[in-house]
Formats: sequence, C-alpha cells, structure tokens
Amino acid sequence: MNFFLHIIVMIATTVPNVLGFNLLFGRGKIFHFGPLGVSIVAAYGIFLVTIATDSFTLGIAAGLLVVSLASAFFAWLSLRLDADGFGVMSIAVHLGLLAVVLNWSSLTRGALGIPRIPRFVFLDSTLDFALFSTVVAAVWSYILWKIDKGPFGRKLIALSEHEWHAKSLGIDRPQVHLIAFLLAGIGALLSNVLYPQYLYLLHPSDYGFPGFVFFVTVVVAGGPGSVRGCLLSLILLSFLREGLRFIPMAPDILGPLRLILFGLILYIAVYCRRDLLFPKQRTV
Amino acid sequence: MLSLSHISLTIGEHRILSDVSCSVDKGEIVGLIGPNGSGKTTLFNVISGFLAPTHGTVHLRGLDITCSSSSRRAQMGIGRVFQNFGIFREMTLEENVLVALEALPKADRTQRGNLRKIAGETLEMVGLQSHAKQKAGSLSGGQMRLLEIARTLMSGKEVFLLDEPTAGVSPKLTQQVADLILQLKKQGKTILVVEHDLPFISHVCDRVIVMDVGRVALTGKPDEVKKSKELRELYFGADPTT
Ligand SMILES: Nc1ncnc2c1ncn2[C@@H]1O[C@H](COP(=O)(O)OP(=O)(O)O)[C@@H](O)[C@H]1O
Ligand SMILES: [Mg+2]
Repeated sequence: MNFFLHIIVMIATTVPNVLGFNLLFGRGKIFHFGPLGVSIVAAYGIFLVTIATDSFTLGIAAGLLVVSLASAFFAWLSLRLDADGFGVMSIAVHLGLLAVVLNWSSLTRGALGIPRIPRFVFLDSTLDFALFSTVVAAVWSYILWKIDKGPFGRKLIALSEHEWHAKSLGIDRPQVHLIAFLLAGIGALLSNVLYPQYLYLLHPSDYGFPGFVFFVTVVVAGGPGSVRGCLLSLILLSFLREGLRFIPMAPDILGPLRLILFGLILYIAVYCRRDLLFPKQRTV
Repeated sequence: MLSLSHISLTIGEHRILSDVSCSVDKGEIVGLIGPNGSGKTTLFNVISGFLAPTHGTVHLRGLDITCSSSSRRAQMGIGRVFQNFGIFREMTLEENVLVALEALPKADRTQRGNLRKIAGETLEMVGLQSHAKQKAGSLSGGQMRLLEIARTLMSGKEVFLLDEPTAGVSPKLTQQVADLILQLKKQGKTILVVEHDLPFISHVCDRVIVMDVGRVALTGKPDEVKKSKELRELYFGADPTT
C-alpha cells in the first residue's frame, strides 16, 4: 500500500513538469535540454523564500517570479539561436545553474541540500499527499491537453514543421515561444512546490542529468507531443524506476545500472520514433 | 497597393537583386517571369519579410513595411503561396486551413464567427471536403497547391504572392488554379504571380514584369512582352535568324 502511494506521489508530482517539457520538445520540436534548469530555479526560489519568511504565499510568489524570468530567458535564447545551438546552450545553462546551487553553500548548503522543508498544513499523511498531488496533476493535464488540441497547439506544430510557412500565415514566433516556455515554467513550479515537500528535503541530486534523461525517455517513448501517451509512459517508466529499488543490490551498483537501463530504453524509443522526432520532408 | 523602390540585396559576395523598383495597383494581376535563378523567389522573400534588403524600401498601402516582421506583414494582408508547397504535412487538411484562420488578427477572427465552418467551406471550394480528416502529407502536389491557394484566399488577404502555382500541376488542375486567380481578381485582390507558363500568364495577367539576373529587364502588357525580342533571348537564347 505504502509503495503504491509513494509511486502515485512520484508520478503525480512529475506530471506537470514532464507535460511542459512535452509541449516544448515533443510538440514544438524545440530542442530544450534544460528543463531541469528551470526546475532548479523554481525549487530553490520557492523554498529559500518560504523558509526565510515562513510564508508559503511569499515563497510561491517568489517562485513564480523567478520561473517567469528563467522561462523568458530560455524563450529568448531559443529565438536568438538556431535549433542545435539552443540545444547545446540549454544544457550549458542547466549545468551552470546546477553549479551555482552546488557551490553557493552559504545560501543553498551545496550538495547537502536543504532539510526540514515545510509542508502545506493540510498535507499530513502520504495519503493526503497522494490525493492532492493527483488532483493537481489531473487539472494541469486537462489544461495542457486542451491547449495542445486548440489553436495554440496548431501554431506550435506549424512552426515546428516549417518556420517560414507558419510565419507567412501570420503566426508570431516570439509570442508562441514565450507562451510555450511560460506554460512549461508553470509546470515546473507546480512540480517543484510539491516534490521537495514530500521528501521534506530539497536535494540538488534530483536536478541532475539522470533526471533529464528520464524526462526525455518519457516524452520520446510516449509519442512526442501526445499528452495521453506521455502520461502513460510516465506511469510505466515510474513503476519500472521505483520497482528497481526492490532488487537486492548495492546502491552504488544499482544507480549506474538504472541509468544504463534508461539509456537503453531511450535508445530504443528514439530509434522507433525517429520519424516523429525528426520528420523528413517529402521531396516528391 | 504594393510598391518596391530601389531594392538591392547582397548575400555574402553574391548580388542577387539590384535596384528593383516596381509597383502593383489594387486589383491588378501582375505576372513575374524570368529564367531560373533570376531572383523572383528572392524578391518574394523580400516582400514577405524573410530577407531584409540591403538597400531600398517596401511599401504596403503607403505604409513603410521594410522593417516589419514577416508575421506582421501577413497580418497586414500579404498572403503567400510557396514554390515548394506551404502545407503542413503532419496536420489534417482541416487543421491546415484552421491554423491559417486562427493566425488572423483578433478583430478579423471574431467577425468571422465559426472558423471550423469556414474551414469546411474552404475545402469544399476545391473539392477536398471528403479528405478533411486526412493528413495533408498524403495529398498529391496539385491538390496541395489547390489547398494552399484556397486557404490563402479564404483568410481574406489583400495581396497575394503566388510562386509558380501551376508547377507540377495537371492541366485540369491548372485550369482550376487559373479560375481561382480570376475569382480573386473579381474580389478586387492584388496579385503578383511567378509563372513559366506563358499562355497561363497571358490568360490571367494585366501586366508582366520580366526579370533577369536580379534586375527588371522589361515590363508591359502580356501581348507586347510576348512579342518582344528580349524575352525570346532570355527564355530561348539568342535567335540566329534575327
Ligand atoms: N539565401 C541565399 N543565399 C545565397 N544565394 C541565394 C540565396 N537565396 C537565393 N540565392 C541565389 O539567388 C539567385 C536567385 O534565386 P531565386 O530567387 O530562387 O530565383 P528564381 O526564383 O527566379 O528561380 C540564385 O542564383 C540563388 O542561388
Ligand atoms: Mg523561384
């Protein structure tokens, strides 16, 4: 029972973040490789202020502010650089942010992370937590599903398929990118206001490269762009990931093994979905 | 309606357009002809805002739009049909029309009401309504062309840039394309059309501009231009008998 509740929390708290990434990378074909960079900004923004002021309201407000700024910055980069350049740059920004939180020890306690993260008063038990985060995930999924099926989703597809053709219809690329990155940023905010509360701990190792590999695997395996596919593959892959904990093996072997396994799944998924990820233009 | 003055464009060492000036009046259909590589598509890219000219200005309805973004120009009423099909192949036919209607300025959209209904009518106009839910990538070249023209037509643009609309299109569909263009003329739209098919040009155009190596070589009525010696030389090489 406890294991199930735990997995439900893990899945539900990841949903908003992964769906935002799916909107950008899966639907918009924007090579954004720094979604966890935005998550770092969100998590540290929220909880540093929450702890300092003893107020969740102020913490979330601060989180919203820094996430908006970070998202706008990524959107600006994505407009300034070509697709590959932005891919590399977004990795660099992610690693840069990670380096800041790891080394600014007086503020973030570095690699130790921040313990005693407070919880919302109404979230006493794991059951409460599972219910609440599931409701948040469901509402956010519905909103993103609606957006994806609507005019905004079509504009994103049009821009991803052919920038000039889309612009010649009057589609405003800067506006579309800004909105898409902001939506993904709000997803990161929702995920990261919940997840550290669940652990009572904000730990930088949750925001490293393995986490990003997990995101990419979920989106690619789920069928890039599809909200339903993404949710399904998140559920399956989360069961796989958490289930591996039960294998009796030393943690220092299990960790790398898990990364290899997900790398392998990613490899297979990319191979099977390469036409969706990198559509070939028909030439005749 | 649309006027270009002293447009020059240099990319790297390459001078692609030099001192092109021309203007198109409201309701006029102007043909743009010239050998391959003479800069016709490039001129369209300058008009629709994808390439910034090195010198010169573009005016639309008297407004200087030289520095406006391409999407802004589209919203101001410049529609474009691309040489290589401006259709989104991963979207259904219906979505292809919808996405164009949804990109219109807000006032336009609200005035038109139900966009899905208009999309249906657009497909009906070119006889593609039975394929509405099909991916556009499965269409033939001619069908894509019709869909693209119909979509641009229904999105209420004022100026149309058509880049080789009949290239790779069967004779029957070519007739249909010509009909669509003449229908646009009746609505008082302004059209600039690149075309190699001279009979097609004399059928639909009021005036012809001949381009050669990035310059305007000649302009006049279709019949005069067709008879001119310069055009023969450009298209068929120098004529040894004259
Ligand atoms: N972006 C570009 N960079 C360099 N050269 C270009 C570019 N676009 C077009 N050209 C060159 O400009 C010339 C005119 O091309 P284009 O306008 O496509 O001709 P047309 O449409 O009349 O056949 C060609 O020689 C082409 O190679
Ligand atoms: Mg051309």
